[in-house]
Parts: sequence; C-alpha cells; structure tokens
Amino acid sequence: MALRLTAKRVCATLPKVMGQAVAARGMATEKQIFNQIQSTKNISKITSSMKMVSAAKLKGDEQRLSLADAFNKWTTPLTGEPVLLEGATYDELPQKTLIVPMTSDKGLCGGINSFITRGTRDIVAKVTADGKECDVVVVGDKGRGQMKRLLAGKIIRSATEVQSPGSFTLASALSSELIAAGAMNYDAVMIVYNSFVNAAVYEQKYKLIKPYVIEGEEESMLEYEFEPDTKSEVMVDLYEYLLTSQIFHSFMDAAASEQSSRMTAMENASKNAGELIDSLTLKYNRARQARITTELIEIISGAAALED
Amino acid sequence: MLSNAIRRVPRVFSVARRAMSTVEESSSMSLNFNLPHESIYSDAKVAQVIVPGVAGEYGVTADHVPVVAQMKAGVLQILHEGVAEPEKYFVAGGFSITHPNSVTDISCPEAVRLDDIDSAAVTSAFEEAKSKFSNAESGSVAQAEAQIDMDVNRSMGAALGLTLV
Repeated sequence: MALRLTAKRVCATLPKVMGQAVAARGMATEKQIFNQIQSTKNISKITSSMKMVSAAKLKGDEQRLSLADAFNKWTTPLTGEPVLLEGATYDELPQKTLIVPMTSDKGLCGGINSFITRGTRDIVAKVTADGKECDVVVVGDKGRGQMKRLLAGKIIRSATEVQSPGSFTLASALSSELIAAGAMNYDAVMIVYNSFVNAAVYEQKYKLIKPYVIEGEEESMLEYEFEPDTKSEVMVDLYEYLLTSQIFHSFMDAAASEQSSRMTAMENASKNAGELIDSLTLKYNRARQARITTELIEIISGAAALED
Repeated sequence: MLSNAIRRVPRVFSVARRAMSTVEESSSMSLNFNLPHESIYSDAKVAQVIVPGVAGEYGVTADHVPVVAQMKAGVLQILHEGVAEPEKYFVAGGFSITHPNSVTDISCPEAVRLDDIDSAAVTSAFEEAKSKFSNAESGSVAQAEAQIDMDVNRSMGAALGLTLV
C-alpha cells in the first residue's frame, strides 16, 4: 500500500515537475509556439503579396525589354553581341577597362546582386593578373555595399537611388556622367549586368564598348561615309549615343531579371513559411494536448488522494 | 540604231547593279526605325527614306553607299512602295546608319507622327521659349536651353507649314 501511494505521488508530481522544467527552459510553452505561428503567418502574407506584385511588374518590364531589344538592335553590327560571364576568359579585354556593374537598390531579390559582385571580382582578378588596369563605376546600392569591401580602391564612382526600371533620359544622364568620368580615355567600357531569359532563369552577361579610333591604321568604320564630313565629331557623338543605347538596354534587362528573381525568392519564402507553420502547428497541438493531459492527471490524482 | 541602244542599256544597268550589290538584287531597302519606347518599323521593306541630316537632307534607296549620319531635329519621310504620299515623322535628333547590305537603322530618342503635332501648342511653346530666351542671362545655361527650345519648335512649325520667328 505504501508502494502504491509513493507510486501515485510520483505519477502525480512527475508531469508537474516536467512541465515546470519545460517552462523554466522557456522553449516550447504553448503560448510561445502560438506567437511564433502568428508572426510566421504574417510574414508569409507579406512574402506572398510581394510575389504577386513582382509578377505584375514583371509583365510590364518584359514588354519594355522587348521594345528596348528592338531599339538596341542597331548597335549589334557596331559592338557585337553581349557575352555570357559563365565560361568567359576575359582575354580580349584591352589594357585599360572601365567596368560598370549593374545592381539593384532594393533587397529581397534573390541572388542577382551576389552574382554580379562575384563576376566583377573575378574580372578584376583576371585583369590584374594579366597586368592590365581597370576601374569600376557601380550602379545600385546593393552592389556598392558588397563591392566596397573587396574592390575599394577600384571604385571611382557609384550611382545609387536609380529609379528602376529607368528611362532613356536616365540612361543618357548616366552615360554623360561616365564620359565626364573619362570614359573615352579607357580602351573599353564593360557593362556587367543580368540578362532576362524567362521568369525562372536569368544569366550574367557583359558588353564591351570600345571608343572609335579617329585616324591611323586602326581607323574605325572605314567603309562608311560620314555626314557631316567632320568624321571625328560625328564619331564622338555616335559613341555617346551608342553608350546611352547600350546602357538603356542593360537597364531594362537588369530590371526584368530583378523582378523575376524577386518573384522566385518570395515564392520560396512563402513556401518555406508555409512548411514552418505546419510543423509549428503540430508542435503546438502536442504542447496543448500535453497541458490538458497534465491537468487531467492533476485533477484525478488530487481526487484519488482525497478519497484515500 | 535606236533599237540597238535600247537593247544595250538594260545590260549596262544590270552589270552596274551587280557591281554594287554582290548578294542579291533588291529593289527595296530594309528599314529599322526604333525609339526607346516604341518600335515603329522593324525589317520593313520601303522604297525610299529621306533623312534630315545635320549637313542637309538626303535620300536613301536600295544599294545606297554606306553612310553614318547624325540627324538634326527635322522631318523624316518614308516612301512606301506604290504609295505616292510619304509618311512624315518629326524626329528629335539621333543617328541614321545605312549598311552595305541595304539595311538602314534609324534610331532616335523621340519621334512623333507629323499628324499628331498640334500647331497651336507648337506656336505657344515657341513664344514661351522666345520670352525665356530674352529674359535669360546672355551666355547662361538657361539661355542655351531656351535657344534649343526655340530651334526645335521653329523646325516643328516649319514642318507643319508655319513660319515662326
């Protein structure tokens, strides 16, 4: 009988002791799990609404990109097609290059900025290893933050708070800034940007824009006549217009890639939040049932103790 | 004798044509006319394009010599095959590049159809620019901008048939 009593008292006190221990650890009380579930639900609402906004904006950006593609087609015979960063050797870079990486200002956009930063870092490493020179003009706040540590000495200018997606006026302002920064003194301007493939895929590409050689052996565009006759003046203007057109096209491409990346990132975030909510709900139910069981046992053992 | 001359002329023509275009004998040229926000013509076959170059207007037909021309603010005329009336656009500058293969790329930051221009708006804009020009300091940026406004509005007016002074 004494054994039965001790056993009963142990059964009565054990859950209480355990429950108190759990509460003292502060990890998995029912209320805390409930709060966690609520905050995760709020976050998932935000991420799913951001995904829908990005999907809507992507439609507009894709349209603008197709117009920019048509507009920029005239530069292809003059500068060639953009080159993929992946697998590129950068051997054809000239002695002095001005690198213009295009990144975004806002975050929550997936990996677009990290890819550009890594690509730029690789280009600078290769160029320095080859004994050539380069400087960097960063477009976009996120890129500036990431590259400030790695390439501090190389960054000569940065352009932030660039309204995405940008317009032709913005592109011409940026190109005149670049020319004011001495773009024509470099052997080439290299625009590094993300190129939109489809809503799930984007690639990193670069464009190499070389200024025209006015005279001498390597005189550019020999087969064309120039109107007006002052070829050197027309070439300078043509170079600036070409640079503006290429920058405008890269803006549109980068904006479409940014939206598609943000859409994917927010979709993944919503999916992860949903999974987290499911597992937390199970934990919550188990905690709730444990509490109810504890209360029942207390009541019953209390009643049994009184009976005895 | 006359019939001999006539028979000889076409042969000379075709030899000359073959000398100029080695790929194919095209009787029309391909036109790409694009703005940043609108693609007006893409690979369109037209008969002739009259370009308002800075040094003067010139016409481009098939097999034209390759030219790079800077355009001034003026009227661009596109003549379609079989249509007598040219299609007129007012362009705000830009570049026209004619390639050796009879493809012409015309690229401008902005262009409008001549029919879409309101002559009353042009006149009032010109008057406003003129007053800004006279009020601005001589040699300042504001005066230069007002001068540009005046010139563009004057050429727009001239395209519409108004003479603005």
